[in-house]
Amino acid sequence: MDLLTSFHLAVSLLFSGDADLYEIIFLSLRVSLTSVSAALCIGVPLGAFLASIVFPGRAAVIILINTLLSMPPVVIGLLVYMLISRAGPFGFLDLLYSPTAMIIAQFLLIVPLSTALSRQLFEHLHHEYNPLFSSLRLSLWRRIIALLVDAKLSLVTIGLVSFGRAISEVGAVILVGGNIKHATRVMTSAIALETSRGELAFALALGIVLLIIALGVNLFSAALRARMDKADINV
Amino acid sequence: MSSRMSCLIANEVSVIREEHYLLKDISLEIKPATITLILGHNGAGKTLLMQVLHGLTLPDEGVIDSPPASRQRMVFQKPIMLRRTALQYFNFVCPGLSIPDQHHWFDSAQLTSRMDAPARRLSGGEQQKLALIGALAAQPEILFLDEPAASLDVEATMLSESLISEACDAGTTIIMTSHNRAQAARLADQVIFMDQGCVKEQSDAKTFFRAPQSDAGRHYLAFT
Repeated sequence: MDLLTSFHLAVSLLFSGDADLYEIIFLSLRVSLTSVSAALCIGVPLGAFLASIVFPGRAAVIILINTLLSMPPVVIGLLVYMLISRAGPFGFLDLLYSPTAMIIAQFLLIVPLSTALSRQLFEHLHHEYNPLFSSLRLSLWRRIIALLVDAKLSLVTIGLVSFGRAISEVGAVILVGGNIKHATRVMTSAIALETSRGELAFALALGIVLLIIALGVNLFSAALRARMDKADINV
Repeated sequence: MSSRMSCLIANEVSVIREEHYLLKDISLEIKPATITLILGHNGAGKTLLMQVLHGLTLPDEGVIDSPPASRQRMVFQKPIMLRRTALQYFNFVCPGLSIPDQHHWFDSAQLTSRMDAPARRLSGGEQQKLALIGALAAQPEILFLDEPAASLDVEATMLSESLISEACDAGTTIIMTSHNRAQAARLADQVIFMDQGCVKEQSDAKTFFRAPQSDAGRHYLAFT
């Protein structure tokens, strides 16, 4: 099957409303949106904390987070696998090969990313605002609120970057999800499987969806940046 | 506590960094509702002295007796603008004012048409005026101004000078630095002349500009 035929078939699959295809797309979105939301809930406050509070061991925490940032997803998948497999400490929860396991793996993948990006963002902003905040003798609480308000659009772009990383990841979700049809099959794991089986049209259809999502995320980011540039509220 | 005769007293204040005195044995007394000008060459320690008096930098030696921090304000040489509109910035630095009061202050600085503009999109002079009214609206006991005329044209300078004078008449003590000697002579009641981290002279402004007592002061006036 040549590329053009595959592409033609892929597009008609997308428009035919193929149930299997859309089940995979929706599961991917559900897993990634859940994991990214949870990771941002931890990463953003942690980043803000690391940026504004000096405490013993802070440098070590930052090095640890930067190391985790460059950890291959498949290694994170392996760690989660060892934790939740039957022999692991959390085996009794029976999470292996479930969407929850995939959410946990993506969560662990995204927390260091969102923490590192948030820390950078807040460090820059805090450094700039600190003399004003100190002059006004603002409480820590009011400082944090002010930083969050002024960084809100930049935080959305961090969310978008995190989502892009989560939804395009394959190594960790295959390990802990198992790529089970109608249960844990997401776009990336399905592409890997269908390609190996020679079902190029199905794989390409999912590839097109991933590309469209990436395009949408980037367009949204670009629009946000344009808006921030216009009001000069970039960080 | 500070007596009614003085608003701020510094007693033998020093700041030391890496065994160097950035400020050395500074003792001064500022009377309430006056305008004090800190003069000196670049690097004399003017801005650092203001930061120490305001409490942003703690002195390594000496004590400062001043009104509570909440009754002090400072306008920085390059105002720190939040990523918000001019009005939102104003309400952040001086919360709780009524809408007519907000308009009154923006009117007084001729900034009414810029209320909804992003604060960081204002010109340098407009930011300077916005920061000034934000500080004045809080009706502080002491207002520190670091080079308030640095990015202002003639008209804006006159406007901000009248705002500063009015605030002083209403009871606010003003401590400011300036490189603008004409402005210094127009506004100041008292001059503190600094050189290499030390106060060389603290005198009445008229006396200082007519007949400075210190060699460093004479040298400074001869070359500015």
